[in-house]
Amino acid sequence: MSVQTTAKTSRPDPPRRTGTSAAARWRALRRRPLVTTLFPFAVVIAVWAVVAELGVFPSAFFVGPATVADSLLTSVQRGILPAYIVDSLTRLAVGTGVGLLVGVALGFLIGLNRHARRFSWPLLLFFQAIGDIAWLPIVIIWFGFSLTSVTVVIVYTVVFPLIISIVAGLDAIPTNLLRAASSLGASRWRMFWEVYVPGALPGLSSGVRTGLGYGWRALIAAEIIIGTSGVGFMMFDARRQGDVSHVFVGMAVLGVLWYMTDALVLAPLEKETVERWGLVEGIGR
Amino acid sequence: MSFLTVDRLNQVYTDVYTNEHTVAIDDVSFTIPAGEFVSLIGPSGCGKTTVLNIVAGFVEATGGAVQLEGVPVAGPGPDRGVVFQDFALFPWKTVLANVAFGLKMNGVGKAERQATAQEMIDLVGLSGFERKFPHELSGGMRQRAAVARVLATEPSIMLMDEPFASVDAQTRRVLQQEVLRIWDLRRTTVLFVTHDVDEAVFMSDRVIVLSTRPSQVQADIRIPIERPRSWTDMHTNEDFVSIRRELMGMLGVEGAEVAP
Amino acid sequence: MTMTHKIRTRARVESAAWFLSPFVVLLAAWLVAIPALDVSPRTFPSAPAVWSALVDQTAAGELIPHVLSSLGRVFLGAGIAVAVGVPAGLLMGMSAALSTFFSPLLRFSVALAGIAWIPLATLWLGYGNGAVVFVVFNAVFFAIVYNSMLGVRQTGTSLLRAARSLGASRWQMFWEVYLPGALPNIVTGLRVGLGFAWRGLIAAEIIATSTGLGYTLFLARQYYETDVIILMMILIGVLWLVMDRLLLAPFERRTIQRWSGERKARA
Repeated sequence: MSVQTTAKTSRPDPPRRTGTSAAARWRALRRRPLVTTLFPFAVVIAVWAVVAELGVFPSAFFVGPATVADSLLTSVQRGILPAYIVDSLTRLAVGTGVGLLVGVALGFLIGLNRHARRFSWPLLLFFQAIGDIAWLPIVIIWFGFSLTSVTVVIVYTVVFPLIISIVAGLDAIPTNLLRAASSLGASRWRMFWEVYVPGALPGLSSGVRTGLGYGWRALIAAEIIIGTSGVGFMMFDARRQGDVSHVFVGMAVLGVLWYMTDALVLAPLEKETVERWGLVEGIGR
Repeated sequence: MSFLTVDRLNQVYTDVYTNEHTVAIDDVSFTIPAGEFVSLIGPSGCGKTTVLNIVAGFVEATGGAVQLEGVPVAGPGPDRGVVFQDFALFPWKTVLANVAFGLKMNGVGKAERQATAQEMIDLVGLSGFERKFPHELSGGMRQRAAVARVLATEPSIMLMDEPFASVDAQTRRVLQQEVLRIWDLRRTTVLFVTHDVDEAVFMSDRVIVLSTRPSQVQADIRIPIERPRSWTDMHTNEDFVSIRRELMGMLGVEGAEVAP
Repeated sequence: MTMTHKIRTRARVESAAWFLSPFVVLLAAWLVAIPALDVSPRTFPSAPAVWSALVDQTAAGELIPHVLSSLGRVFLGAGIAVAVGVPAGLLMGMSAALSTFFSPLLRFSVALAGIAWIPLATLWLGYGNGAVVFVVFNAVFFAIVYNSMLGVRQTGTSLLRAARSLGASRWQMFWEVYLPGALPNIVTGLRVGLGFAWRGLIAAEIIATSTGLGYTLFLARQYYETDVIILMMILIGVLWLVMDRLLLAPFERRTIQRWSGERKARA
């Protein structure tokens, strides 16, 4: 999985460059993971700044990083942005939390019970196919332009990938592990806690990843359409006023938030389970 | 007195779509007395693993009966410890927790089961690796852990399903001798499934040969080689050489010579 | 031969029946529950109401154009994304330096792709078709570039060495090794991307146009036409199921299954 598997192309350094030269130090620096991650962004920002400075696009459509940083600073100082971020994150957290409760319970039920699986699997595929955002209109009719509507949509979004991944995770438990456990005398209850639950964790963590990926997209859409507060609302509000720089601010904030969710929640979860047990090496990151 | 009795075992598979019947096991009967090490060999696809799975209780036979100490076998249980070819260690448990698993399932207290597990880990030569996860161990070490896990619950019989097929050739020889060393200490009854004639002769008191599908017992051969056995002098042992040749002939490997 | 054929067909019919039976149960529950609980049509429509909405809309010649305009946007946006994204991803993957450089950027972009671009898309391209197609394009594009690149990077070293030592040129390497090697990943990328694109399409149609399923869906909300809303939701679900389960999933399964032996040998 790792993208850094580039050993075959690494050549020995040309002899004229010594280990202490600036070029060698530069290369050594580039190999450090944080630098390899951040360096491309620095290049993109630099290119962005140059393009904006040259005035290739009219400033009503495209602004440079300096302008965006400026707008970012003002909205932070005014307290608008922090409040919106808190709003968005709270909605996402509440939605994901409830979604986890429902999704995990249903996932195990459907994954472990043959009858439940047979009956609900087609329905599951269908209701997942309808997609979260299509529910927005009727949910608005039921609950109005409210926080409840946003939460319902996010719960809906998170639940389906979670169920499907947990079922897949349960199916992927090798038969011999189940046989080993039962031949060592595990009762049904013990089997559940000692084998099925840990066995489903890799599926669970990939389900949470997919669910969150869809979940926060649903959040943005809901905030744009329901439009009372939040990062999505801020972006669309700015767009209505023709304020490009705040649209850019919104996208940057979303990107950083996703990176933080990944680094603080998803990656540690995977590290503690999937990687520690050597099940899959660093899934899809 | 016979300890494990396999009586007229029969296994027929029915294809759900075509309704065709495939007879995997035609009629297999044998008995194993307590404390004996018995190998089951046969050509690939002859159903030797199916026999083991039936004895283990993983698969229900379509005909015949299996009795352990006079009691009919129904479903898997800790009286029959199974060592799998792919180890089947729980990837989310450390070596210690894997070995202690069976004891935990049977309600043994924490201190006691850890002490027993430690004893078994020492016995199989894994001391110092208690806190490792299975994926951090080599194939040979994983199989040692799997053997320790089975020994910890003190089963009446150990069922081993081609346990050394997934490890490299050198490690295999070492493990074969190791398992015999441990077996010598405890003399647990063993039913050992393999397709490797050398392994079967080297390890066993008796070798049962199954025919091709639909399988029957083709031969039941006693191995009179003295214990303890070691690979160093095995290839010059006359019994080993002649029994090996006889078995090779039965399995259709004509003109087989003893490997140097 | 014909016997087994007959049995196969019967098995297939049986599994289709099993697949449909939960929907029959659901439909029956719907038919019974709405009048029994006396649910207002402003809250939830009855099944016959949805059926007549379907008949009316089709007769009025409104439904088909909306469906076609939605599908047209998806195929256009996704088509451009595949045409541009696959070669770009493969070329990036063929160079270690390029893939190291672009990898974090692409991961960032995949996470951001689709709906988050709606404000910018409508700003750049105005409200209308262009913005919607752009949102679809960008949802698919980043996922497919990233996965194509990943697919090339994951092609086994020994395979590359074998091809080179057999005398493959760079161009031949591209067609004979990198492209087929990356195909399973490309299809996975397309599935993930289209998943985002389909949602992005509905959202963008709600926000930015006056045709399409999303637009009709949201317009109906203003008049509390729950029958039209539910009809549109069913249509959206059925269309996606057809695309995903009947086109993409079998394609993905086939490429991955066909080469799974090779994949395993690499690991």
